[in-house]
Amino acid sequence: MEQRLANSWRMTVNEKNFIQTALLSDLRIDGRGPFDYRNLTIQFGIEDGSSEVQLGQTRVMGFVTSQLVQPYRDRPNEGTLAIFTEFSPMADPSFEIGRPGESAVELGRIVDRGLRESRAIDTESLCVVAGKWVWSIRIDLHILDNGGNLVDAANIAALAALLTFRRPECTLGGEDGQEVIIHPPEVREPLALIVHHLPIAVTFAFIGNESRVIIDPSHFEEAVMGGKLTATLNTNGDVCAIQKAGGEGVMQSVVMQCLRIASVKAADITGKIKKAVESYKTKRDLKKIKRHPDSVDISNISKDMEKSKLELVKCQSDDMEIEGHSSKKDESSLRHSKHKALISGPSSWDPYSKIADTDELKASLASRAVATPNLKMDVMPPEKQQLNVKDESHRDADPSPPLLVAAEAREEKNKAKTLLDAVKPKHKRKKKNASNSNGS
Amino acid sequence: MELKPSIPSSSLIDQQVFPGDVVLDLSKITSQTIKLGGGLRQNTDLLLNVRNVVIRMILRWPKEFVLCIHLVTRSLLVIMMHGAAVCKDGDLISVMKGGVLRFSKPNKYWVETSQKRYVPSAGDNVLGIVVDARSDNFFVDIKGPTLAFLPVLAFEGGTRRNIPKFEMGTLLYVRVVKADTGMNPELSCMDASGKAAEYGPLKEGFMFETSTGLSRTLLSSPTCPVLETLGKKIAFEIAVGLNGRVWVNSSTPSIVVLVSNTIIQTASMSPTQQKIRVESLLQKMQ
Repeated sequence: MEQRLANSWRMTVNEKNFIQTALLSDLRIDGRGPFDYRNLTIQFGIEDGSSEVQLGQTRVMGFVTSQLVQPYRDRPNEGTLAIFTEFSPMADPSFEIGRPGESAVELGRIVDRGLRESRAIDTESLCVVAGKWVWSIRIDLHILDNGGNLVDAANIAALAALLTFRRPECTLGGEDGQEVIIHPPEVREPLALIVHHLPIAVTFAFIGNESRVIIDPSHFEEAVMGGKLTATLNTNGDVCAIQKAGGEGVMQSVVMQCLRIASVKAADITGKIKKAVESYKTKRDLKKIKRHPDSVDISNISKDMEKSKLELVKCQSDDMEIEGHSSKKDESSLRHSKHKALISGPSSWDPYSKIADTDELKASLASRAVATPNLKMDVMPPEKQQLNVKDESHRDADPSPPLLVAAEAREEKNKAKTLLDAVKPKHKRKKKNASNSNGS
Repeated sequence: MELKPSIPSSSLIDQQVFPGDVVLDLSKITSQTIKLGGGLRQNTDLLLNVRNVVIRMILRWPKEFVLCIHLVTRSLLVIMMHGAAVCKDGDLISVMKGGVLRFSKPNKYWVETSQKRYVPSAGDNVLGIVVDARSDNFFVDIKGPTLAFLPVLAFEGGTRRNIPKFEMGTLLYVRVVKADTGMNPELSCMDASGKAAEYGPLKEGFMFETSTGLSRTLLSSPTCPVLETLGKKIAFEIAVGLNGRVWVNSSTPSIVVLVSNTIIQTASMSPTQQKIRVESLLQKMQ
């Protein structure tokens, strides 16, 4: 018993009084104003759907996972959403493993209500086979460090994780058309969840006899406060949820004032979340396009070349291109019959990696006995000459314009025949690129 | 007792040392009392003897009592002090805890570490929080592994008639009288001679918790740069406990907030950086 007593955190009378007297002059112990949030940082993990939010000293991690399950009887065409919280003992000495305490259950309920009641996630899009298979989204919130105001941080973590989560695409197939095939991410691009709006939770604490209102209470302030109010709003001005569980009574005017302040803060936080998610998404997309160090410039240069080339050789090249595309279509349709289903672009295929040597390309182009390359061959020398006349420094980019035109223009068709190549191990990528160029 | 001049003992004093660093080779020192302190250990590794290593002396905490074990090795008296994690059977004394090696004449060395936990040791001035009151003791929390006892009569002029009444959560500035491992430490609100001398409850103000290293820095003499620079412009009262608790009081709450936040933020800065930061913060205030 004594050991337990010795280890728990205590508050002195001095601190309590000081926090209250400091608030009389609108000052908080960490120097903030009464309506200032602490520093918010949102980071993402390697996988889709994992986020870590830091709000001052408070740290929360959110993970989103999905699974195919049977839907509820009364909602046969809606997916489900479930939130699980874990209050790790390393966050606070008062947290214990095992059954969640009252505050843990309350936190889970607030986040859940904000997302579910306001229909922030479109659950109908999660339905695969009505009445049989739906996607069940599970959000796990891990509290790593309790520096006060866990609800807000957990809510932001859940939203950030949901915005970056992508579920695998699945189609109906099999013999009777009722079997659900889940496609792995290499085969088909996973899909993001449809999120209509972002409900942001804003917590207010009432301290002292006069019930001074402060926003985002820290650990100290939470120990001293007399009551707490959490308002969940979105930027459209909708109030999604309000939670005030016990504590001191407050006037109705105070509640209205809190809602007004909360809407301002919600807009602010929504902006921050969106910015963080955007930068994460661009990073993720950039990772998919693996660039060979040389080809970076080439791709940029060749884009310019492509434009200039189109200007120079208008009709001819257009005809050539069209013919090229049509012949490609023939080729791809030939190969297409070999594949069972239409497949969209793989995430690891990239048109710009490792552009082969010019000699190799010429050799491969020359060796192809299909109609178009002959035409292309005819087109190529005059184009090349023109290009050479134009700019000698881009000599090594010469074979790439036609390559890139084809590559850029109809990626899907290319992918139809190069998909298998893409799934093949990396050392065969050169071959794949060669066949790419052959296709153009 | 003289230190042999051939011992390169000063090479690692006031330097960061790590576990495994050998401090002293006892074979080179004769007829000397070496006091082993916290964070040092005597090794009996013959292989180490062969190795050419830097030799440092290990000393004990300066204010502690002499503890049980006395060993004589090659006419060398090594006294183990309380708190020393020492294994005595060799010629080499090496470091057990990472920290800064400190030296105090004539022959005291110890390793100073900084943690958030406090290990109670006798003679320290600490800030405690009253948890409970019994008939003969107050239970006080001093951030150690166990609660400490403060005898009800350990006040200046304390008798059974005028026992002070402390409610739960009162902050006290107390002195550690006895602190043995495994036993609850004993505290006192009097200094060694029985006078009150600033001990007792602290009223108003604000308390925050830091590491033990920061407390020692704040208490060092000459005055630490943060307190000096702050003290030139602002009037405030401060009480530092060696258990990592610091209490600040002033006339207005804003000054208290400024001082406490400054101390926390400049904890890991170098002295010049601290001065610059404090000055910029003060300018912002005015």
